[in-house]
Amino acid sequence: MATGTDQVVGFGLVAVSLIIFTYYTTWVILLPFIDSQHAIHKYFLPRAYAILIPLASGLLLLLLVGLFITYVMLKSRRATKKAQ
Amino acid sequence: MQRKGGSRRGLPGADADLVSATFRGTMTKLTQWLWGLALLGSAWAALTMGALGLELPLPCREVLWPLPAYLLVSAGCYALGTVGYRVATFHDCEDAARELQSQILEARADLTRRGLHF
Repeated sequence: MATGTDQVVGFGLVAVSLIIFTYYTTWVILLPFIDSQHAIHKYFLPRAYAILIPLASGLLLLLLVGLFITYVMLKSRRATKKAQ
Repeated sequence: MQRKGGSRRGLPGADADLVSATFRGTMTKLTQWLWGLALLGSAWAALTMGALGLELPLPCREVLWPLPAYLLVSAGCYALGTVGYRVATFHDCEDAARELQSQILEARADLTRRGLHF
């Protein structure tokens, strides 16, 4: 078994993914079948956000990846320019 | 003349035609995935837009339209969870690690003695 921070990070990721999965499943799959007067509905945002939030976070992720790639490319170009 | 798939080998040339590639059973994994996605996507689109004319009950329609986003999010969660689990249960070999580190130091010392500079 891995030790120390590896275990903490690993099981933390598992827990985060389970939480996100159960919340999202309840939101998308279970809520339409529950009576609209039930108290559970106040814990969930309006349904449109079930598409908007993953879409926005997906675009944000792409932006961060693009920025990282740009940064690395600029750094390597500056390094080769200094070597010339 | 009809072409039967699979049994006639030795057809001349590289046949790039997608449909005949399907008949010959030589579709690449990419094309298989694209076909599957296209079929599921068109089924989903037909059902959501009501093109088939079936009146689905309201809760079913409410579940159906975010379905692609839901599948993407759950695939992402599965990937994240699997990565996390494998990181947590990876077998560390402490003794082998220490032995390797000492061998690296030994090798460095040996090479610097022979004149190689790090």
